[in-house]
Amino acid sequence: MDTTVLLDILQRYVFNVANLQGMLRLSTPIVLAGLCALITSRAGILNIAGEGMILFGAWFAVAGSYFAENALVGVAAAMLSGAVIGGLFALFSLRFRAHIIIMGIAINIFANAATIFLTRAVFKQAGAFAAPRIQGLNPIALPIIKDIPILGEVLSGYSLIVYLTWILVALTTLFLYRTPWGLHLRAVGENPQAAETLGINVPRIRFAAVMASGVYASLAGVYLSLGHLKMYTDQMAAGRGYIGMAVNTFGGGEPIGVFLASTLFGLVDTIGWRLQGERIMPVYFISMLPYVATLVALTVFTLRQQRAKRAALANNAEEE
Amino acid sequence: MTSKMGTLQRHLRGAFQRSIGIVLSILAGVFVGSLIMIWYKQNPVEIYTLLLKGAVGSQRSIFIAMQRATPLIFTAIASTIAFRTGVFNIGVEGQFFIGAICGTFVGYAFALPTIIHLPLTLLAGFLGGAAWAYFPTIMRQKLGISEIITTIMTNYIATHLISYLTNYPMRASPTTTETPPVQATTRLPQFIELTRHWAKPLGKGTQAHFGIFIALAVVAIVYFIFKRTKLGYELRMVGISFPFSEFGGIHLDRAFIGGMLISGGIAGLGGIVEILGVWREYKNLFATGFGFRGNLASLLGRQSVIGSLVAALFYGAMEAGALGLEWAAGIPRQLIDIVIGLIIFFMAAEGMWDFVKRIKWVRAPEAARKSTQELEV
Repeated sequence: MDTTVLLDILQRYVFNVANLQGMLRLSTPIVLAGLCALITSRAGILNIAGEGMILFGAWFAVAGSYFAENALVGVAAAMLSGAVIGGLFALFSLRFRAHIIIMGIAINIFANAATIFLTRAVFKQAGAFAAPRIQGLNPIALPIIKDIPILGEVLSGYSLIVYLTWILVALTTLFLYRTPWGLHLRAVGENPQAAETLGINVPRIRFAAVMASGVYASLAGVYLSLGHLKMYTDQMAAGRGYIGMAVNTFGGGEPIGVFLASTLFGLVDTIGWRLQGERIMPVYFISMLPYVATLVALTVFTLRQQRAKRAALANNAEEE
Repeated sequence: MTSKMGTLQRHLRGAFQRSIGIVLSILAGVFVGSLIMIWYKQNPVEIYTLLLKGAVGSQRSIFIAMQRATPLIFTAIASTIAFRTGVFNIGVEGQFFIGAICGTFVGYAFALPTIIHLPLTLLAGFLGGAAWAYFPTIMRQKLGISEIITTIMTNYIATHLISYLTNYPMRASPTTTETPPVQATTRLPQFIELTRHWAKPLGKGTQAHFGIFIALAVVAIVYFIFKRTKLGYELRMVGISFPFSEFGGIHLDRAFIGGMLISGGIAGLGGIVEILGVWREYKNLFATGFGFRGNLASLLGRQSVIGSLVAALFYGAMEAGALGLEWAAGIPRQLIDIVIGLIIFFMAAEGMWDFVKRIKWVRAPEAARKSTQELEV
């Protein structure tokens, strides 16, 4: 394949404004789900309840927006629901010693049933709920950036949550590496016993991490229900909670890594839509790609780690 | 005589200790469920009565419960085997689907006499599920990578792979996204098909099928393996303590990998049995959630083989009851998933019932309490 063909393909499927916009839009809820997984995994907790937390976030965002006729109230309601579910999850799994994975699965099944039930009980609707009273989050044009030729189109004109997500990626990095609490959180994740001897309150840090993960996940839910379409649909999380765990693993547990990995997922999604529209090749293999890539990355990463460890041991032995 | 009485008393006390948490959890779940029903302006007593009627109130409801329970028995047993070897097989969901699609292929692509075809189809399901469990197992075994992340990945890969297969190579006709139907020689008969001409047909208006017998056979075999064979002993030892069992001369690799592959295989077997009994062709994503529900049923059954069977039957009956409830009174059937979710919350939260364990008569021995709590995350 010569370069012009390659360039042409790249431009058609990747580097054009519509694709890049789609990529950033589709990656937003995944970034948030990834941060949800990240904050708990860095505290040494495997939280698989992200899926359920996203669902609750999406539902409460619509409910809040519907009853107050104000999108921001919806956002607040969703974040509150995330904190509450996260708090309950933490209470049961940390305090009452419920197995964290079982608790996660139970929350996901519970959230799925509860949101369907609530839609029927509160809004008397089955399957989906949309109403003119629901206020969505309107697109915001960024002051100066919007006037930059192509970049402006790609970077500006999204709803609040998209920008908030970018800010959260930066803030989470700052939090982890530049604040004492972040240091404590990483210490708890890496070696809870050592952290405890240093006087760090391990249960409290973990409790806070799980609650924070609930808030991150709920924002992903907000984006799904108010960020674009202004409606709630049953099961609209559609696996993003689990995908969040994938991007966290793929991104090496770093916020920026999560962001880049999510962008990859978003890109694959957009390309998938595109290819499906043009009927060129089955979209399924492309959709499969990020998951396979995560497995490969995990394998390579672990192998390298093991080799480094072995080399270090060998060096020590030589010195002695 | 006295020693016999002593044993009996010990057994009774043991059973009581094991079930006290479950009973309290069910009561707590039912109670919180009642509060939700009252909020929904319904009379809880009436609803629970309807639920019981829908679950076991008539011959038809019993057969519906049986049909719903059949796949759950497989997935619950699959989860239990993995639990016992100390891993959490969330991949049951994907293994179930892969087993189903592999079996479906053998089911429609060959024309053989039933006596060969049916076992061959079931074997394909078993092998498909086991193969799908292989990769996460090896990653955990050789590299120590958490099987939870990897099995979640393989679940998604399974979903997309099957979407491809049912849309392209295995598609029956341009207008559907289903495979061709499996041959009549490999179908599992439904009760109604066999008894249609009886004066009182069994399972009228249901799709309950003979897969339940395969499920029960699997339960019996797995029970036997755990109780009576060397492999079962090794599996249990590996689950209880890795370092100890290595010291005791058990081949860790063999026992661990064997356990995971059997777990995946049984999940796959469940998938193909569901196809052969109910659907008879592979509809894309014909039944999601059996894997995860199986994980929960295994927990409800305290990760014991017989417990898993009972829990799967209970879960199936509750689902049948919920369907009945929706038909009879227009109550969303999700109400039951909510109640079961609550029961699981209360059951999993062992620390919540600590006050009960302080009562002398029910105090559990130290060792028993550790069961799954120490599972590494």
